[in-house]
Amino acid sequence: MRLFLIAMLLVPTVSAAADTEFRLSIHEHRFEPAELRVPAGKRIRLTIVNQDAAAEEFESYELHREKLIPGNSSGTVYIGPLEPGRYPFFGDFHPKTTTGVIIAE
Amino acid sequence: MKRGLVFAFGAAAQIFCRLCAAGPADYVYTPAVEYGEREIDFKAGRANTHDADQQSAASIGFGYGATPHWFTEFYSKYESTGAGGTHFDAWEWENKFQLTETGQYPVDVGLVVEVERPQDHDEGYEVRFGPLFQTEFGKVQLNGNLLFGRQYRAAVSAPMQFGYQWQVKYLWTERLEFGIQGFGDVGPWNDWAPADQQSHRFGPAVFGKLPVGVHKAIRYNAALLLKASTGAPNNTFRIQLEYEF
Repeated sequence: MRLFLIAMLLVPTVSAAADTEFRLSIHEHRFEPAELRVPAGKRIRLTIVNQDAAAEEFESYELHREKLIPGNSSGTVYIGPLEPGRYPFFGDFHPKTTTGVIIAE
Repeated sequence: MKRGLVFAFGAAAQIFCRLCAAGPADYVYTPAVEYGEREIDFKAGRANTHDADQQSAASIGFGYGATPHWFTEFYSKYESTGAGGTHFDAWEWENKFQLTETGQYPVDVGLVVEVERPQDHDEGYEVRFGPLFQTEFGKVQLNGNLLFGRQYRAAVSAPMQFGYQWQVKYLWTERLEFGIQGFGDVGPWNDWAPADQQSHRFGPAVFGKLPVGVHKAIRYNAALLLKASTGAPNNTFRIQLEYEF
């Protein structure tokens, strides 16, 4: 147990891998682009710029992420490294129009 | 004098038990904060102890993601032991701080700090705090938390206690995830109790989130914890339901 404790306290939280950066906008309750292609196997730093006055929440069960982006501001979501495939996401406040997909390839 | 000693011993034992044993309604903290989210949180649990008595606890609270890195929640806690009936037990103020962005580093880190004011004012104020860790491997999510607890302004002082929580969760579907949870208490943080007095419990758990409207959902998790040391209850059932909006 003591070894477990020490291991937990010494868990390295500094990542060695560099992030690949992408940008996503929210405009009139739609993601732009609605389809984002990213490299598989790399960690992604996704900057989401909300150009609407209303807040939106970026949400994706497939990516295991939820992030509130207040109106007229931006936020950052870190995802991956991803296996090749499609990862849908949506805006939790406007789920009918604010939809998109990340394609890892 | 003798009566005073008996009282002091009884109070010390009560305080030690309160601090050393995680309550049956306790849940595994996660480091992420959901900014702007409000929630009504209900927790309950029942532990079957060695002498066939049952200890039950429940709480209801309201929480709010006040900033992108701070979630605060206020609880009213109740308990029931043996023939004592159900009664109000304590107020609790829980604060969770997200210290790293989710997924930015291999391990997400948070901090929980909670202050409890028991109904029995002889127990003073209980402060519990500790680091929270989380990581993911594909569809498997791992959590491990270290918790330290101490009472202040209590009638009888007791050393700081140490406990832990962990869970392994398979992210199957949003509505149903499953895994294993564990809780443990080892006694004073710098002088652990003998193994037969420590409490270690673990068992199967289920989790899920049920959307019920635009930006509204019910989140649940429940576990059946089985005794893994002689100091633990024979079994504990615990459940948490959150209405998020």
